[in-house]
Amino acid sequence: MTAATWLEVLDQTIGASVVHHRPDLAERLRAKRAQLLDPQIRVLVIGEANQGKSQLVNALVSASVCAVGDDVTTVAPTIVRYAEKPAATQLLHDGTGAEPQRMPLPVDQATNRGGDAVTTEVRIPRKILAAGLVIIDTPAIGNLHQLRAQSTFSALSGADAVLLATDASHELSATELELLRHVRRSCPTILVALTKIDLTTRWRQIADRNREHLSKAGIPAAVVPVSSALRLRAVAKDDEALNVESGFPELIERLRTDVLPVASNPSSRQNFAAMTGTALAELVGQVKKELAARPDDRNSPAVAEYMDAQQKMADLKRRSAKWQNVLNDEMADLIADLEYDLRDRTRRILREVDRAFDEADPAKTWDQFEEWLNENLTEAARTNFDWLIERSWWVADRVAECFPERQDLVPGTVIPSDADLDPGDTERPRLEKFTAGQKVFSGLRGSYGGVLMFGLITSLAGLPLINPISIGAGLALGGKSIGEEGETRLKRRQQLAKSTAQRHVDDFFLRFSKDCKDAARRIQRGLRDHFAELAEQLQQRVADAASAAQRSAQAELSARQRRDQELRQALTQLRELHGQITRIAGALPASSRNPLEISA
Amino acid sequence: MTQTVDEAVWAILHEALRLYQDSPRATSWLRHHIGRFDSPLRIAVAGRPGSGKSTVVNAVVGDEVAPIEVDGPVFTWYQDGPQPRATVYMRQGPPGEPPIVRVGRRMDIDLSGFESGGMTRIVVDWPARVLRDATLIDTPPIADEISEQIAAEADALLYLTPQVHVMDVRYLQSTQDHPVARAAPVNSIMVLSRADEVGGGRIDSLSTAKQISRRYRRDARIRGLCQNVVAVSGLIGQAGRTMPEEEYQSLAALAAAPRAQTEELLLTADRFTRSEHVLPVSTRRELADRLGMVGIRLATTLIRQGADSRTKLASELVQRSGLNELRDSIGRLFVDRREVLKARSALLGLDVVLRMEPRPGAAKLVTDVERVLAGAHEFHELRLLGGLLSGRTRLPEELGLEAQRLIGGYGTDLDARLGFDREPTQAEVQNAIYDALARWREQSENPMLGSAERDAARVVVRSCEAMLI
Ligand SMILES: Nc1nc2c(ncn2[C@@H]2O[C@H](COP(=O)(O)OP(=O)(O)OP(=O)(O)O)[C@@H](O)[C@H]2O)c(=O)[nH]1
Ligand SMILES: Nc1nc2c(ncn2[C@@H]2O[C@H](COP(=O)(O)OP(=O)(O)OP(=O)(O)O)[C@@H](O)[C@H]2O)c(=O)[nH]1
Ligand SMILES: [Mg+2]
Ligand SMILES: [Mg+2]
Repeated sequence: MTAATWLEVLDQTIGASVVHHRPDLAERLRAKRAQLLDPQIRVLVIGEANQGKSQLVNALVSASVCAVGDDVTTVAPTIVRYAEKPAATQLLHDGTGAEPQRMPLPVDQATNRGGDAVTTEVRIPRKILAAGLVIIDTPAIGNLHQLRAQSTFSALSGADAVLLATDASHELSATELELLRHVRRSCPTILVALTKIDLTTRWRQIADRNREHLSKAGIPAAVVPVSSALRLRAVAKDDEALNVESGFPELIERLRTDVLPVASNPSSRQNFAAMTGTALAELVGQVKKELAARPDDRNSPAVAEYMDAQQKMADLKRRSAKWQNVLNDEMADLIADLEYDLRDRTRRILREVDRAFDEADPAKTWDQFEEWLNENLTEAARTNFDWLIERSWWVADRVAECFPERQDLVPGTVIPSDADLDPGDTERPRLEKFTAGQKVFSGLRGSYGGVLMFGLITSLAGLPLINPISIGAGLALGGKSIGEEGETRLKRRQQLAKSTAQRHVDDFFLRFSKDCKDAARRIQRGLRDHFAELAEQLQQRVADAASAAQRSAQAELSARQRRDQELRQALTQLRELHGQITRIAGALPASSRNPLEISA
Repeated sequence: MTQTVDEAVWAILHEALRLYQDSPRATSWLRHHIGRFDSPLRIAVAGRPGSGKSTVVNAVVGDEVAPIEVDGPVFTWYQDGPQPRATVYMRQGPPGEPPIVRVGRRMDIDLSGFESGGMTRIVVDWPARVLRDATLIDTPPIADEISEQIAAEADALLYLTPQVHVMDVRYLQSTQDHPVARAAPVNSIMVLSRADEVGGGRIDSLSTAKQISRRYRRDARIRGLCQNVVAVSGLIGQAGRTMPEEEYQSLAALAAAPRAQTEELLLTADRFTRSEHVLPVSTRRELADRLGMVGIRLATTLIRQGADSRTKLASELVQRSGLNELRDSIGRLFVDRREVLKARSALLGLDVVLRMEPRPGAAKLVTDVERVLAGAHEFHELRLLGGLLSGRTRLPEELGLEAQRLIGGYGTDLDARLGFDREPTQAEVQNAIYDALARWREQSENPMLGSAERDAARVVVRSCEAMLI
């Protein structure tokens, strides 16, 4: 398949979404379209303060494009991309989210921005960039300037790869590992550049230790030792041996082998195909519904319609048994599935709880654990309940299919839209020392780029977040054997916390699953009443229709047929598109390699 | 007659001991605190993993005594003693005394007789000048239980960090999160450690690091959390303080070689330790470990510039490492203020008993504690200092700096408070005090100042009055 075809399919699907009044789908697809059309591969260089991020970017492109300094230096991202002629621009955002204003800048001043927190874009003619590689230097994460780190976090979502710079003078810290765990969620490829290896004899050990840390943390990332200082010197002196010693040829090779194929990998395309497919399926469903809602009268002279009405009357009687069966069966299935689903969700939560309290001390973390638990239970309940609602509508559809004509939609009152999702109060386990910490935690939550901070809280990142004095107090008073006693006390506390959580989750399960079952039964009753009435009305109406047919049928027929025709055509077109997109998805793995050129 | 703060606290501790005599737990705890009250100040050296804690301990002590490599988190205490001696405390079983000797400037300890992983604390007696003023505690990397133990055992804190990270700030904030700690705030000095690494290998990195520390001293997010920020290269300081003659000779040989050749050799750590050279590889490795690349570059440069003996080079290195500044800060901000710091720890300890074993008779103790915290001038000084440092209390610029000085922010002895950098005459001292007193009395009535500022001025007046006695 050529690119034009998938783009055509995508554009037609966007068009169809607009025609069928689905601006939401159109919007989603448009965003995807923009991303797919951007051939650039964005590599974000991140890390904590002073780890040599900016110098790494400079060394990668063999040019001084980013400011380098001893104190906190980088205050805003620098975007380095390809151009035939060097150019630099400041991107001034006005805070409204609109496109930034572009201010050209003399190239030689691009690295002297002083304290301006303004994104700079530098374009230079470098072979490494020519294939669409965009390298972005970012402000340090974890230093005191949190606002700057925010911009790094927001950039993360658009990155094809992340290059973490970490100084060879130390092993990866708890906070760096936590950062990578966070990155992993949104970014397929991570590389770790171990920088400044010219300064320490121990870099080999550090590299090995870092590999251990990464594999223990489950982060698939290669560690590449480099020295930007050597690389820049090698470039200045045109010294190939020194260049090899700098480690940069290997880093660039890694970018070629690890970053480019993944970034240009069809997985994103497949993702797009799935997305388009789903959109099309939705549209098909919608059109079908519309079609089904129209009486099927291929041949409807007035008499035919009258006879038809008679026919239908007989039909209705036959079907009335059927719809009741469908309703009962489907609802029984639904209730069983719901319970299974809720059981599964709560079980997963309990597993998390167990895992958490194998490590954590409930005395220190209960409050925020409780919040976590309630959030998760609420979430489980919400999903479970949403599912009930969705399935109920589906059941209603299935039942409605049993009727010869789909007349009315099921009234909204039959299927509720909201449930009481409050998981209730956890009965606080009666344990000693269940104080401290709250304030510290709520203080933390408000800062430091949200998501990352949450990650840090859950693992505590090896650092104290609890008031050490008040806790230390109890510890100290116990005297010498405290270590041992503390251990068993901790075990007991953890056990107690686990069983309390277990009890709470069980209570919640019982209560909520009963509520859900009740709701399902109410829905079932509602549907039964509704359809029973419908059946009756139908009979009545079919009889009425027979007489009315003669008057109105003729006029209506032609109009209906026209609209019908339109819908059927639309349906055919949508199905056609769906077929195409399926073919594209199937053909994708073959068209994987992107012939990108990169050189050391 | 007014009591000094240590007298007041001493009295309260004994009062508590009487009240709790029927509780063995509280009694032993209080005895422990009374004993601690009379023993030297304890300074914990703390920080994240690899921040250079053990190296800074060595640099301050002047001998290679740290780290003692053992499994698991072990607190190592270094205290003054006539002979090297060590006591190892175990999780289970009685403490033991491992063989320990001094070899040159190094400590040699044999822990083979102890179950690895079972040790909780090692107390080393070591004859060294600084340890007479204060006990140093080398701590495991900061983590929950570690920080609890630091809070429980140390009177003051040297907090090391090579790069100020939000986590460092959180930790320092957490150490002040206690009513008593708030009433007697800031017992810490922040050390920007591994300062030689700041400049990416340049030999001026240490002076750059000093500038950075000055910036942090003014940073609103830091200054309320510590009394000073000092940049220190523990490694270079330690090398300076413990340099043997052979090491000097090796460095001198490097300095004597043609400059271009040495520079080429020192281009990278790998080249320095792996290429062909007259100095044996093992010597070069040792140099790299002991001084780091910046240290070697700096040392050879200093030798070329005229540091032509071991002593001269050593003292230049120590001077540049920031170690002198650190020791000066420890002296002025911790050692000179040890009574308040120890009173603070004792009140924190007493607070534990009052909270863990509340009883009706303790009400008077609680009021006594509050009275000391609220009344003792030393705590007023600390609080004002904390307020001025953090910016909670604002005085017009000049006044603010003078107030900090007069209440002992730069040192509590007379000269430091009055700002003399030379030996003043008796008359000069008297004049300076009366001048300050008059000025600050005026401020304490100054209608242009808010009431918080006038209160601050009143504290300064009290400090001046105290100097007259
Ligand atoms: N010797 C040596 N020094 C380096 C190397 N890379 C960076 N540096 C030095 O490390 C210091 C920090 O470098 P930067 O590139 O500014 O570090 P950064 O991570 O961008 O710092 P911030 O932007 O402030 O977070 C500078 O003094 C650089 O000269 C290297 O490979 N070798
Ligand atoms: N370049 C340089 N290296 C240092 C400095 N201080 C320590 N190091 C090195 O860093 C490593 C760790 O130093 P330590 O002093 O043991 O650090 P620590 O904080 O006690 O380490 P942990 O107790 O394991 O947390 C050692 O290899 C030291 O040689 C310094 O000031 N400069
Ligand atoms: Mg930078
Ligand atoms: Mg150590």
